[in-house]
Amino acid sequence: MPAPGRPDGADGPPDAVDTGTGTDLPEAAGRRLESGSFSSGLTVPDFAACLQMGLRPVALVQGFCVMQWGWYGAGSPYSRGLSPYAFGSGGAPRGVYSESYSCPHGGMVYSNEHRIWGQNYQQPWVEEAWAEGFGSAYSRLVEEAGAVGAHGVIGVVDSTRHLADMNVTEFHILGTAVVVEDAAPAPGATPWTTYLAGQRLAKLVEAGYMPVSVVAALSSVRVWAYCVTEMLMEGRPLSTFGGGGYMPVAEVEQLSRAHLAARSLVREHVRGKLGHDTLQGALIVANTQRLAQGDEVIECALRGTRVRRFKDFDPLPPPRPTVRLT
Amino acid sequence: MTQPQDLPKEAGHRLEELEHGLFTSDLSVNEFLLIKEAGFHPLGFVMGSSIYHTGIQARRWNKSQELTKLTEAMYNARELAMTRMEEEADQLGADGVVGVRLDVNYYEWGRDAAEFIAVGTAVKAEDGVSHRNALGKPFTSDLSGQDFWTIMQTGYVPQGLVMGTCVFHIAHRGLGQALGSMGQNVELPNFTQALYEARELAMTRMQDEANQLGATGIVGVRLEEKSHQWGSHTIEFLSLGTAVTKSAGDVTLPKPITVISLDN
Repeated sequence: MPAPGRPDGADGPPDAVDTGTGTDLPEAAGRRLESGSFSSGLTVPDFAACLQMGLRPVALVQGFCVMQWGWYGAGSPYSRGLSPYAFGSGGAPRGVYSESYSCPHGGMVYSNEHRIWGQNYQQPWVEEAWAEGFGSAYSRLVEEAGAVGAHGVIGVVDSTRHLADMNVTEFHILGTAVVVEDAAPAPGATPWTTYLAGQRLAKLVEAGYMPVSVVAALSSVRVWAYCVTEMLMEGRPLSTFGGGGYMPVAEVEQLSRAHLAARSLVREHVRGKLGHDTLQGALIVANTQRLAQGDEVIECALRGTRVRRFKDFDPLPPPRPTVRLT
Repeated sequence: MTQPQDLPKEAGHRLEELEHGLFTSDLSVNEFLLIKEAGFHPLGFVMGSSIYHTGIQARRWNKSQELTKLTEAMYNARELAMTRMEEEADQLGADGVVGVRLDVNYYEWGRDAAEFIAVGTAVKAEDGVSHRNALGKPFTSDLSGQDFWTIMQTGYVPQGLVMGTCVFHIAHRGLGQALGSMGQNVELPNFTQALYEARELAMTRMQDEANQLGATGIVGVRLEEKSHQWGSHTIEFLSLGTAVTKSAGDVTLPKPITVISLDN
Protein backbone atom coordinates (compact mmCIF):
# COMPACT_ATOMS: atom_id res chain seq x y z
CA MET A 1 0.00 0.00 0.00
CA PRO A 2 1.14 3.58 -0.47
CA ALA A 3 2.63 4.86 2.75
CA PRO A 4 0.07 6.81 4.75
CA GLY A 5 0.91 10.19 6.10
CA ARG A 6 2.84 13.05 4.67
CA PRO A 7 6.11 12.52 2.82
CA ASP A 8 7.90 14.61 5.40
CA GLY A 9 6.77 12.23 8.12
CA ALA A 10 4.89 14.87 10.09
CA ASP A 11 1.39 14.23 11.30
CA GLY A 12 -1.57 16.52 11.39
CA PRO A 13 -2.90 18.62 8.53
CA PRO A 14 -0.15 20.48 6.73
CA ASP A 15 -0.36 24.13 5.94
CA ALA A 16 -2.33 25.19 2.93
CA VAL A 17 -0.53 25.36 -0.38
CA ASP A 18 0.68 28.83 -1.12
CA THR A 19 1.55 29.14 -4.75
CA GLY A 20 1.62 32.87 -4.61
CA THR A 21 -1.75 33.09 -6.30
CA GLY A 22 -3.83 33.23 -3.17
CA THR A 23 -4.74 29.54 -3.23
CA ASP A 24 -5.92 27.89 -0.03
CA LEU A 25 -6.02 24.28 -1.22
CA PRO A 26 -4.40 21.70 1.03
CA GLU A 27 -1.02 20.28 0.09
CA ALA A 28 -2.46 16.84 -0.67
CA ALA A 29 -4.72 18.38 -3.31
CA GLY A 30 -1.67 19.67 -5.16
CA ARG A 31 0.00 16.27 -5.01
CA ARG A 32 -3.11 14.45 -6.20
CA LEU A 33 -3.75 16.80 -9.09
CA GLU A 34 -0.19 16.29 -10.34
CA SER A 35 -0.87 12.56 -10.74
CA GLY A 36 -0.55 11.19 -14.27
CA SER A 37 -3.87 9.34 -14.40
CA PHE A 38 -7.26 10.95 -14.57
CA SER A 39 -10.03 10.30 -12.09
CA SER A 40 -13.70 10.79 -12.65
CA GLY A 41 -16.76 10.65 -10.46
CA LEU A 42 -18.98 10.14 -13.50
CA THR A 43 -21.00 6.99 -13.93
CA VAL A 44 -19.89 4.85 -16.86
CA PRO A 45 -22.82 5.94 -19.10
CA ASP A 46 -22.02 9.58 -18.30
CA PHE A 47 -18.34 8.91 -18.93
CA ALA A 48 -19.16 7.43 -22.34
CA ALA A 49 -21.41 10.36 -23.23
CA CYS A 50 -18.68 12.74 -22.10
CA LEU A 51 -16.18 11.12 -24.50
CA GLN A 52 -18.71 11.21 -27.30
CA MET A 53 -19.19 14.95 -26.82
CA GLY A 54 -15.46 15.50 -27.14
CA LEU A 55 -14.88 16.12 -23.45
CA ARG A 56 -11.90 14.44 -21.82
CA PRO A 57 -12.04 13.89 -18.03
CA VAL A 58 -9.00 15.24 -16.23
CA ALA A 59 -9.60 14.89 -12.50
CA LEU A 60 -12.19 14.59 -9.81
CA VAL A 61 -12.15 18.02 -8.21
CA GLN A 62 -13.69 19.09 -4.94
CA GLY A 63 -14.12 21.93 -2.51
CA PHE A 64 -15.02 22.05 1.16
CA CYS A 65 -15.87 24.59 3.79
CA VAL A 66 -16.74 23.92 7.40
CA MET A 67 -18.77 26.70 8.93
CA GLN A 68 -19.98 27.42 12.39
CA TRP A 69 -23.56 28.32 11.78
CA GLY A 70 -24.86 30.53 14.55
CA TRP A 71 -28.51 29.74 14.06
CA TYR A 72 -29.54 31.33 17.28
CA GLY A 73 -26.52 33.41 18.04
CA ALA A 74 -26.08 37.16 18.04
CA GLY A 75 -28.45 38.86 15.66
CA SER A 76 -30.57 35.75 15.48
CA PRO A 77 -32.65 35.73 18.64
CA TYR A 78 -34.23 32.44 19.57
CA SER A 79 -36.44 33.85 22.25
CA ARG A 80 -39.63 35.62 21.44
CA GLY A 81 -39.60 39.34 21.76
CA LEU A 82 -36.01 39.76 20.60
CA SER A 83 -36.73 40.37 16.92
CA PRO A 84 -33.96 42.24 15.14
CA TYR A 85 -36.70 44.26 13.50
CA ALA A 86 -39.17 46.50 15.22
CA PHE A 87 -42.72 45.24 15.54
CA GLY A 88 -44.58 45.90 12.33
CA SER A 89 -43.68 45.54 8.70
CA GLY A 90 -41.94 48.87 8.62
CA GLY A 91 -39.24 47.78 11.05
CA ALA A 92 -37.11 45.74 8.65
CA PRO A 93 -34.45 47.32 6.49
CA ARG A 94 -35.42 48.10 2.92
CA GLY A 95 -35.62 44.92 0.82
CA VAL A 96 -35.84 42.59 3.82
CA TYR A 97 -39.10 40.69 4.27
CA SER A 98 -40.99 41.19 7.53
CA GLU A 99 -44.65 41.29 8.41
CA SER A 100 -46.55 41.15 11.66
CA TYR A 101 -49.87 39.77 12.86
CA SER A 102 -52.10 41.07 15.62
CA CYS A 103 -54.51 39.13 17.81
CA PRO A 104 -58.07 39.37 16.42
CA HIS A 105 -59.70 38.86 19.78
CA GLY A 106 -60.26 42.52 20.46
CA GLY A 107 -57.62 42.85 23.07
CA MET A 108 -59.37 40.38 25.34
CA VAL A 109 -56.41 38.48 26.73
CA TYR A 110 -57.36 35.05 28.09
CA SER A 111 -54.09 34.40 29.84
CA ASN A 112 -50.53 35.65 30.08
CA GLU A 113 -49.57 33.05 27.49
CA HIS A 114 -52.02 34.28 24.89
CA ARG A 115 -49.99 35.45 21.90
CA ILE A 116 -51.34 38.85 21.04
CA TRP A 117 -48.91 39.30 18.16
CA GLY A 118 -46.74 37.34 15.77
CA GLN A 119 -44.16 38.04 13.15
CA ASN A 120 -42.62 36.54 9.98
CA TYR A 121 -39.21 37.83 9.09
CA GLN A 122 -36.34 37.03 6.76
CA GLN A 123 -32.99 36.06 8.34
CA PRO A 124 -30.36 37.59 6.05
CA TRP A 125 -27.50 36.63 8.40
CA VAL A 126 -28.34 32.93 7.91
CA GLU A 127 -28.62 33.39 4.15
CA GLU A 128 -25.30 35.22 4.02
CA ALA A 129 -23.58 32.51 6.08
CA TRP A 130 -24.92 29.82 3.76
CA ALA A 131 -23.78 31.81 0.73
CA GLU A 132 -20.35 32.27 2.28
CA GLY A 133 -19.95 28.54 3.03
CA PHE A 134 -21.21 27.45 -0.38
CA GLY A 135 -19.18 30.15 -2.12
CA SER A 136 -15.94 29.17 -0.36
CA ALA A 137 -16.38 25.48 -1.21
CA TYR A 138 -17.30 26.36 -4.80
CA SER A 139 -14.31 28.65 -5.28
CA ARG A 140 -12.01 25.83 -4.05
CA LEU A 141 -13.59 23.42 -6.55
CA VAL A 142 -13.02 25.92 -9.35
CA GLU A 143 -9.47 26.51 -8.11
CA GLU A 144 -8.71 22.77 -8.29
CA ALA A 145 -10.20 22.64 -11.80
CA GLY A 146 -8.07 25.62 -12.84
CA ALA A 147 -4.97 23.92 -11.40
CA VAL A 148 -5.38 20.97 -13.80
CA GLY A 149 -6.05 23.24 -16.78
CA ALA A 150 -9.69 22.21 -17.15
CA HIS A 151 -12.13 24.08 -19.37
CA GLY A 152 -15.08 23.06 -17.24
CA VAL A 153 -16.49 20.89 -14.48
CA ILE A 154 -19.40 18.54 -15.17
CA GLY A 155 -21.60 16.38 -12.97
CA VAL A 156 -21.29 18.74 -10.00
CA VAL A 157 -22.82 17.39 -6.79
CA ASP A 158 -23.15 19.50 -3.67
CA SER A 159 -24.22 18.62 -0.17
CA THR A 160 -24.62 20.37 3.11
CA ARG A 161 -24.54 18.34 6.29
CA HIS A 162 -24.30 18.80 9.98
CA LEU A 163 -21.23 17.12 11.46
CA ALA A 164 -22.25 15.03 14.43
CA ASP A 165 -21.19 16.34 17.83
CA MET A 166 -19.32 19.26 16.35
CA ASN A 167 -22.05 21.89 16.06
CA VAL A 168 -20.77 22.84 12.65
CA THR A 169 -21.97 22.48 9.08
CA GLU A 170 -19.89 21.23 6.18
CA PHE A 171 -20.37 22.37 2.59
CA HIS A 172 -19.03 19.83 0.10
CA ILE A 173 -18.96 20.24 -3.66
CA LEU A 174 -17.36 17.86 -6.13
CA GLY A 175 -17.40 17.26 -9.86
CA THR A 176 -15.33 15.99 -12.78
CA ALA A 177 -13.00 18.49 -14.43
CA VAL A 178 -12.93 18.13 -18.22
CA VAL A 179 -10.95 19.46 -21.13
CA VAL A 180 -12.60 20.12 -24.47
CA GLU A 181 -10.70 18.00 -27.02
CA ASP A 182 -9.03 19.99 -29.76
CA ALA A 183 -9.70 23.27 -27.95
CA ALA A 184 -6.89 25.61 -27.01
CA PRO A 185 -5.96 25.70 -23.33
CA ALA A 186 -7.41 28.66 -21.50
CA PRO A 187 -4.88 29.64 -18.84
CA GLY A 188 -6.33 32.00 -16.29
CA ALA A 189 -9.89 31.57 -17.51
CA THR A 190 -12.48 30.52 -14.94
CA PRO A 191 -13.76 27.01 -15.76
CA TRP A 192 -17.49 26.69 -16.42
CA THR A 193 -19.45 24.37 -14.14
CA THR A 194 -22.68 22.43 -14.42
CA TYR A 195 -24.78 19.98 -12.43
CA LEU A 196 -25.43 18.15 -15.69
CA ALA A 197 -23.45 15.27 -17.12
CA GLY A 198 -23.88 12.58 -19.73
CA GLN A 199 -26.79 12.62 -22.13
CA ARG A 200 -28.56 15.41 -20.25
CA LEU A 201 -25.60 17.68 -20.93
CA ALA A 202 -25.41 16.45 -24.53
CA LYS A 203 -29.08 17.31 -25.05
CA LEU A 204 -28.59 20.77 -23.54
CA VAL A 205 -25.78 21.50 -26.00
CA GLU A 206 -27.81 20.07 -28.89
CA ALA A 207 -30.60 22.40 -27.87
CA GLY A 208 -28.23 25.33 -28.36
CA TYR A 209 -27.29 26.16 -24.76
CA MET A 210 -23.89 26.09 -23.08
CA PRO A 211 -23.38 25.87 -19.31
CA VAL A 212 -21.93 28.89 -17.53
CA SER A 213 -21.91 27.95 -13.84
CA VAL A 214 -23.85 26.23 -11.13
CA VAL A 215 -26.00 28.64 -9.15
CA ALA A 216 -27.42 28.09 -5.69
CA ALA A 217 -28.95 30.19 -2.94
CA LEU A 218 -30.81 29.80 0.32
CA SER A 219 -33.61 31.81 1.87
CA SER A 220 -34.49 31.65 5.54
CA VAL A 221 -37.71 32.90 7.10
CA ARG A 222 -38.49 32.79 10.82
CA VAL A 223 -42.09 32.45 11.99
CA TRP A 224 -43.24 33.61 15.39
CA ALA A 225 -46.77 32.39 15.59
CA TYR A 226 -49.52 34.63 16.90
CA CYS A 227 -52.54 33.20 18.73
CA VAL A 228 -54.52 32.05 15.69
CA THR A 229 -51.52 30.34 14.06
CA GLU A 230 -50.54 28.72 17.34
CA MET A 231 -54.03 27.33 17.98
CA LEU A 232 -54.42 26.01 14.43
CA MET A 233 -50.97 24.41 14.41
CA GLU A 234 -51.35 22.89 17.86
CA GLY A 235 -54.80 21.54 17.10
CA ARG A 236 -56.42 23.52 19.92
CA PRO A 237 -59.89 24.99 19.44
CA LEU A 238 -60.15 28.75 19.17
CA SER A 239 -61.74 29.90 22.41
CA THR A 240 -64.99 31.76 22.50
CA PHE A 241 -66.55 33.67 25.33
CA GLY A 242 -68.86 31.60 27.46
CA GLY A 243 -66.74 28.47 27.23
CA GLY A 244 -66.29 25.83 24.56
CA GLY A 245 -64.59 26.52 21.30
CA TYR A 246 -64.54 25.71 17.64
CA MET A 247 -62.03 24.24 15.26
CA PRO A 248 -62.29 26.02 11.92
CA VAL A 249 -61.23 24.49 8.63
CA ALA A 250 -59.10 27.37 7.47
CA GLU A 251 -55.83 28.26 5.86
CA VAL A 252 -53.00 28.98 8.31
CA GLU A 253 -52.38 32.30 6.69
CA GLN A 254 -49.23 33.26 8.57
CA LEU A 255 -47.46 30.03 7.62
CA SER A 256 -48.70 30.13 4.04
CA ARG A 257 -47.32 33.60 3.63
CA ALA A 258 -44.00 32.61 5.22
CA HIS A 259 -43.60 29.66 2.81
CA LEU A 260 -44.56 31.90 -0.10
CA ALA A 261 -42.03 34.50 1.03
CA ALA A 262 -39.25 31.93 1.43
CA ARG A 263 -39.78 30.61 -2.11
CA SER A 264 -40.09 34.07 -3.54
CA LEU A 265 -36.92 35.27 -1.78
CA VAL A 266 -34.80 32.35 -2.96
CA ARG A 267 -35.94 32.92 -6.53
CA GLU A 268 -34.94 36.57 -6.18
CA HIS A 269 -31.52 35.58 -4.82
CA VAL A 270 -30.87 33.26 -7.78
CA ARG A 271 -32.31 35.68 -10.32
CA GLY A 272 -29.79 38.23 -9.11
CA LYS A 273 -26.96 35.87 -10.07
CA LEU A 274 -28.19 35.06 -13.59
CA GLY A 275 -27.66 38.35 -15.42
CA HIS A 276 -29.15 37.88 -18.90
CA ASP A 277 -28.82 34.10 -18.78
CA THR A 278 -31.40 31.49 -17.84
CA LEU A 279 -31.56 28.75 -15.23
CA GLN A 280 -31.76 25.12 -16.33
CA GLY A 281 -32.84 22.21 -14.12
CA ALA A 282 -33.99 24.38 -11.24
CA LEU A 283 -34.53 22.33 -8.09
CA ILE A 284 -36.10 23.93 -5.05
CA VAL A 285 -35.98 22.13 -1.71
CA ALA A 286 -37.88 23.46 1.29
CA ASN A 287 -36.91 22.41 4.77
CA THR A 288 -39.01 23.25 7.80
CA GLN A 289 -37.56 23.22 11.28
CA ARG A 290 -40.40 23.11 13.78
CA LEU A 291 -39.59 24.80 17.07
CA ALA A 292 -42.64 24.95 19.33
CA GLN A 293 -46.22 26.21 19.51
CA GLY A 294 -46.41 27.02 15.80
CA ASP A 295 -42.99 28.67 15.65
CA GLU A 296 -40.89 27.56 12.68
CA VAL A 297 -37.84 28.29 10.59
CA ILE A 298 -38.38 27.76 6.88
CA GLU A 299 -35.39 27.36 4.59
CA CYS A 300 -35.59 27.09 0.82
CA ALA A 301 -32.57 26.11 -1.25
CA LEU A 302 -32.69 26.63 -5.00
CA ARG A 303 -30.01 25.27 -7.30
CA GLY A 304 -29.58 24.86 -11.03
CA THR A 305 -27.24 25.47 -13.92
CA ARG A 306 -26.91 28.93 -15.42
CA VAL A 307 -26.98 28.45 -19.20
CA ARG A 308 -26.45 30.73 -22.19
CA ARG A 309 -27.77 30.33 -25.72
CA PHE A 310 -25.02 30.04 -28.32
CA LYS A 311 -26.79 28.65 -31.36
CA ASP A 312 -30.23 27.93 -32.74
CA PHE A 313 -31.97 24.74 -31.76
CA ASP A 314 -31.25 21.79 -34.04
CA PRO A 315 -34.42 19.71 -34.31
CA LEU A 316 -33.93 16.20 -32.94
CA PRO A 317 -34.97 13.18 -35.00
CA PRO A 318 -38.32 11.70 -33.94
CA PRO A 319 -37.97 9.20 -31.09
CA ARG A 320 -38.15 5.48 -31.82
CA PRO A 321 -40.93 3.70 -29.93
CA THR A 322 -39.58 0.93 -27.69
CA VAL A 323 -40.96 -1.68 -25.35
CA ARG A 324 -38.85 -2.81 -22.41
CA LEU A 325 -38.82 -6.53 -21.75
CA THR A 326 -38.36 -6.09 -18.00
CA MET B 1 -1.29 -14.75 2.66
CA THR B 2 -0.84 -14.74 -1.10
CA GLN B 3 -0.74 -18.47 -1.92
CA PRO B 4 -3.89 -20.19 -3.23
CA GLN B 5 -3.38 -22.99 -0.70
CA ASP B 6 -4.22 -20.43 1.99
CA LEU B 7 -7.82 -20.58 0.88
CA PRO B 8 -10.11 -22.76 3.01
CA LYS B 9 -10.46 -26.40 1.96
CA GLU B 10 -14.16 -25.87 1.23
CA ALA B 11 -13.25 -23.15 -1.25
CA GLY B 12 -11.10 -25.63 -3.14
CA HIS B 13 -13.99 -28.13 -3.39
CA ARG B 14 -16.40 -25.47 -4.58
CA LEU B 15 -13.98 -24.12 -7.16
CA GLU B 16 -13.21 -27.62 -8.45
CA GLU B 17 -16.91 -28.10 -9.19
CA LEU B 18 -16.98 -24.82 -11.06
CA GLU B 19 -14.05 -25.92 -13.20
CA HIS B 20 -16.30 -28.66 -14.67
CA GLY B 21 -18.52 -26.23 -16.49
CA LEU B 22 -21.16 -25.23 -13.96
CA PHE B 23 -21.01 -21.53 -13.19
CA THR B 24 -22.51 -19.43 -10.41
CA SER B 25 -22.88 -15.66 -10.42
CA ASP B 26 -24.74 -12.86 -8.72
CA LEU B 27 -25.35 -11.18 -12.06
CA SER B 28 -28.90 -10.20 -12.97
CA VAL B 29 -30.24 -11.59 -16.25
CA ASN B 30 -29.60 -8.27 -18.00
CA GLU B 31 -26.06 -8.13 -16.66
CA PHE B 32 -25.46 -11.72 -17.78
CA LEU B 33 -26.62 -10.90 -21.31
CA LEU B 34 -24.40 -7.83 -21.55
CA ILE B 35 -21.35 -9.64 -20.17
CA LYS B 36 -21.86 -12.22 -22.93
CA GLU B 37 -22.40 -9.42 -25.47
CA ALA B 38 -19.08 -7.90 -24.40
CA GLY B 39 -17.38 -11.21 -25.26
CA PHE B 40 -17.01 -12.70 -21.77
CA HIS B 41 -18.68 -15.52 -19.93
CA PRO B 42 -19.04 -15.98 -16.17
CA LEU B 43 -16.97 -18.68 -14.47
CA GLY B 44 -18.12 -18.47 -10.90
CA PHE B 45 -19.02 -16.39 -7.90
CA VAL B 46 -15.81 -15.65 -6.01
CA MET B 47 -15.19 -14.17 -2.60
CA GLY B 48 -12.51 -13.30 -0.09
CA SER B 49 -12.79 -12.58 3.59
CA SER B 50 -10.62 -11.37 6.43
CA ILE B 51 -11.47 -10.86 10.07
CA TYR B 52 -9.16 -8.15 11.28
CA HIS B 53 -8.51 -6.70 14.70
CA THR B 54 -8.31 -2.99 14.03
CA GLY B 55 -7.45 -2.07 17.60
CA ILE B 56 -7.15 1.45 18.88
CA GLN B 57 -4.69 4.28 18.51
CA ALA B 58 -4.00 7.12 20.88
CA ARG B 59 -5.14 10.49 19.63
CA ARG B 60 -4.78 13.99 20.97
CA TRP B 61 -8.03 15.65 21.91
CA ASN B 62 -7.18 19.01 20.37
CA LYS B 63 -5.08 17.93 17.39
CA SER B 64 -6.27 16.96 13.93
CA GLN B 65 -4.14 14.08 12.74
CA GLU B 66 -4.15 10.98 10.62
CA LEU B 67 -4.30 7.78 12.66
CA THR B 68 -1.80 5.88 10.56
CA LYS B 69 -2.10 2.58 12.42
CA LEU B 70 -5.84 2.50 11.83
CA THR B 71 -5.36 3.58 8.22
CA GLU B 72 -2.96 0.71 7.66
CA ALA B 73 -5.30 -1.73 9.40
CA MET B 74 -8.31 -0.74 7.30
CA TYR B 75 -6.19 -0.86 4.16
CA ASN B 76 -4.53 -4.21 4.89
CA ALA B 77 -7.79 -5.88 5.84
CA ARG B 78 -9.44 -4.90 2.56
CA GLU B 79 -6.34 -5.90 0.62
CA LEU B 80 -6.41 -9.34 2.25
CA ALA B 81 -10.06 -9.84 1.33
CA MET B 82 -9.43 -8.61 -2.22
CA THR B 83 -6.34 -10.80 -2.63
CA ARG B 84 -8.23 -13.91 -1.53
CA MET B 85 -11.03 -13.12 -3.95
CA GLU B 86 -8.44 -12.70 -6.72
CA GLU B 87 -6.90 -16.06 -5.74
CA GLU B 88 -10.25 -17.77 -6.18
CA ALA B 89 -10.63 -16.10 -9.58
CA ASP B 90 -7.08 -17.09 -10.48
CA GLN B 91 -7.80 -20.69 -9.59
CA LEU B 92 -10.72 -20.63 -12.05
CA GLY B 93 -8.45 -19.25 -14.76
CA ALA B 94 -10.47 -16.04 -14.92
CA ASP B 95 -9.46 -12.90 -16.79
CA GLY B 96 -11.24 -10.69 -14.34
CA VAL B 97 -13.88 -10.16 -11.68
CA VAL B 98 -16.85 -7.87 -12.27
CA GLY B 99 -19.45 -6.45 -9.89
CA VAL B 100 -17.05 -6.47 -6.93
CA ARG B 101 -18.55 -5.36 -3.64
CA LEU B 102 -16.54 -4.55 -0.54
CA ASP B 103 -18.32 -4.73 2.80
CA VAL B 104 -17.33 -4.37 6.42
CA ASN B 105 -19.33 -6.18 9.11
CA TYR B 106 -19.01 -5.89 12.87
CA TYR B 107 -20.09 -8.65 15.21
CA GLU B 108 -21.00 -8.58 18.86
CA TRP B 109 -18.50 -11.31 19.66
CA GLY B 110 -15.51 -9.42 18.32
CA ARG B 111 -14.87 -6.09 19.96
CA ASP B 112 -12.60 -3.92 17.77
CA ALA B 113 -12.64 -6.69 15.15
CA ALA B 114 -14.39 -6.52 11.82
CA GLU B 115 -14.98 -8.85 8.92
CA PHE B 116 -13.94 -7.46 5.56
CA ILE B 117 -15.57 -9.22 2.62
CA ALA B 118 -15.00 -8.93 -1.12
CA VAL B 119 -17.36 -10.71 -3.53
CA GLY B 120 -17.80 -10.65 -7.30
CA THR B 121 -18.27 -12.74 -10.42
CA ALA B 122 -15.20 -14.14 -12.18
CA VAL B 123 -15.34 -13.84 -15.98
CA LYS B 124 -13.22 -15.04 -18.89
CA ALA B 125 -12.94 -13.76 -22.45
CA GLU B 126 -14.52 -16.05 -25.03
CA ASP B 127 -11.97 -15.24 -27.71
CA GLY B 128 -9.17 -16.78 -25.65
CA VAL B 129 -7.16 -13.55 -25.53
CA SER B 130 -5.89 -12.74 -22.05
CA HIS B 131 -7.42 -9.65 -20.45
CA ARG B 132 -5.42 -9.85 -17.24
CA ASN B 133 -3.96 -6.63 -15.92
CA ALA B 134 -0.41 -5.32 -16.11
CA LEU B 135 0.53 -7.34 -13.01
CA GLY B 136 -0.64 -10.59 -14.64
CA LYS B 137 -3.58 -10.90 -12.24
CA PRO B 138 -7.28 -11.04 -13.05
CA PHE B 139 -8.64 -7.51 -13.30
CA THR B 140 -11.17 -6.49 -10.67
CA SER B 141 -13.95 -3.96 -11.08
CA ASP B 142 -17.01 -2.75 -9.23
CA LEU B 143 -18.74 -2.06 -12.53
CA SER B 144 -22.13 -3.68 -13.13
CA GLY B 145 -22.67 -5.81 -16.23
CA GLN B 146 -24.23 -2.84 -18.01
CA ASP B 147 -21.35 -0.55 -17.08
CA PHE B 148 -18.81 -3.21 -18.07
CA TRP B 149 -20.35 -3.47 -21.55
CA THR B 150 -20.48 0.33 -21.88
CA ILE B 151 -16.86 0.90 -20.81
CA MET B 152 -15.69 -1.72 -23.33
CA GLN B 153 -17.55 0.18 -26.06
CA THR B 154 -15.63 3.35 -25.22
CA GLY B 155 -12.30 1.64 -25.90
CA TYR B 156 -11.26 1.44 -22.26
CA VAL B 157 -10.63 -1.82 -20.41
CA PRO B 158 -10.72 -2.29 -16.62
CA GLN B 159 -7.43 -2.92 -14.84
CA GLY B 160 -8.42 -3.14 -11.22
CA LEU B 161 -10.58 -1.91 -8.39
CA VAL B 162 -8.42 0.74 -6.76
CA MET B 163 -8.91 2.29 -3.37
CA GLY B 164 -7.36 4.69 -0.94
CA THR B 165 -8.20 5.13 2.69
CA CYS B 166 -7.37 7.56 5.44
CA VAL B 167 -8.50 7.39 9.06
CA PHE B 168 -8.42 10.88 10.47
CA HIS B 169 -9.04 12.31 13.90
CA ILE B 170 -10.72 15.71 13.76
CA ALA B 171 -9.63 17.89 16.68
CA HIS B 172 -12.13 19.03 19.27
CA ARG B 173 -12.45 22.77 19.68
CA GLY B 174 -11.02 24.26 22.82
CA LEU B 175 -13.02 26.49 25.13
CA GLY B 176 -11.14 29.56 23.91
CA GLN B 177 -11.84 28.76 20.27
CA ALA B 178 -15.49 28.09 20.97
CA LEU B 179 -15.91 31.32 22.93
CA GLY B 180 -14.02 33.30 20.32
CA SER B 181 -16.49 32.41 17.59
CA MET B 182 -19.62 32.14 19.70
CA GLY B 183 -22.70 33.48 17.98
CA GLN B 184 -20.92 34.08 14.70
CA ASN B 185 -21.41 32.54 11.30
CA VAL B 186 -17.79 31.94 10.34
CA GLU B 187 -15.66 29.36 8.59
CA LEU B 188 -13.68 27.08 10.90
CA PRO B 189 -10.43 26.72 8.92
CA ASN B 190 -9.00 23.97 11.13
CA PHE B 191 -12.00 21.71 10.49
CA THR B 192 -12.03 22.57 6.79
CA GLN B 193 -8.31 21.82 6.42
CA ALA B 194 -8.55 18.55 8.35
CA LEU B 195 -11.49 17.16 6.37
CA TYR B 196 -10.05 18.44 3.10
CA GLU B 197 -6.65 16.90 3.83
CA ALA B 198 -8.12 13.53 4.82
CA ARG B 199 -10.17 13.20 1.65
CA GLU B 200 -7.30 14.29 -0.55
CA LEU B 201 -4.99 11.72 1.09
CA ALA B 202 -7.51 8.96 0.42
CA MET B 203 -7.90 10.03 -3.19
CA THR B 204 -4.15 10.38 -3.71
CA ARG B 205 -3.59 6.82 -2.48
CA MET B 206 -6.29 5.57 -4.81
CA GLN B 207 -4.56 7.28 -7.72
CA ASP B 208 -1.20 5.82 -6.62
CA GLU B 209 -2.72 2.35 -6.90
CA ALA B 210 -3.99 3.19 -10.38
CA ASN B 211 -0.54 4.37 -11.40
CA GLN B 212 0.96 1.09 -10.17
CA LEU B 213 -1.39 -0.70 -12.57
CA GLY B 214 -0.32 1.57 -15.40
CA ALA B 215 -3.86 2.88 -15.71
CA THR B 216 -4.76 5.95 -17.72
CA GLY B 217 -7.69 6.83 -15.51
CA ILE B 218 -10.24 5.89 -12.88
CA VAL B 219 -13.96 5.86 -13.54
CA GLY B 220 -16.88 5.80 -11.13
CA VAL B 221 -14.93 7.27 -8.22
CA ARG B 222 -16.91 7.49 -5.02
CA LEU B 223 -16.04 8.78 -1.59
CA GLU B 224 -17.39 7.01 1.48
CA GLU B 225 -17.13 8.21 5.06
CA LYS B 226 -17.73 6.15 8.17
CA SER B 227 -16.90 6.51 11.82
CA HIS B 228 -17.30 2.75 12.37
CA GLN B 229 -16.93 2.29 16.13
CA TRP B 230 -14.52 5.11 16.87
CA GLY B 231 -16.85 7.98 17.75
CA SER B 232 -17.83 10.96 15.65
CA HIS B 233 -14.47 12.75 15.65
CA THR B 234 -12.62 9.83 14.04
CA ILE B 235 -13.64 9.19 10.47
CA GLU B 236 -12.49 6.79 7.78
CA PHE B 237 -12.45 8.35 4.32
CA LEU B 238 -12.50 5.64 1.65
CA SER B 239 -12.10 6.41 -2.03
CA LEU B 240 -12.96 3.69 -4.56
CA GLY B 241 -13.07 3.41 -8.33
CA THR B 242 -12.20 1.23 -11.30
CA ALA B 243 -8.85 1.91 -12.95
CA VAL B 244 -8.99 1.69 -16.73
CA THR B 245 -6.54 1.80 -19.62
CA LYS B 246 -7.15 2.84 -23.19
CA SER B 247 -7.04 -0.10 -25.57
CA ALA B 248 -5.22 0.21 -28.87
CA GLY B 249 -6.96 1.96 -31.74
CA ASP B 250 -9.49 4.72 -31.93
CA VAL B 251 -13.07 3.91 -31.11
CA THR B 252 -15.98 5.77 -32.61
CA LEU B 253 -18.94 5.60 -30.31
CA PRO B 254 -22.33 5.09 -31.92
CA LYS B 255 -24.54 8.15 -31.72
CA PRO B 256 -27.37 7.58 -29.26
CA ILE B 257 -30.89 7.56 -30.62
CA THR B 258 -33.89 9.04 -28.89
CA VAL B 259 -36.52 6.54 -27.84
CA ILE B 260 -39.98 6.76 -26.35
CA SER B 261 -41.03 3.98 -24.04
CA LEU B 262 -44.40 2.39 -24.74
CA ASP B 263 -44.47 0.77 -21.31
CA ASN B 264 -46.81 2.04 -18.67
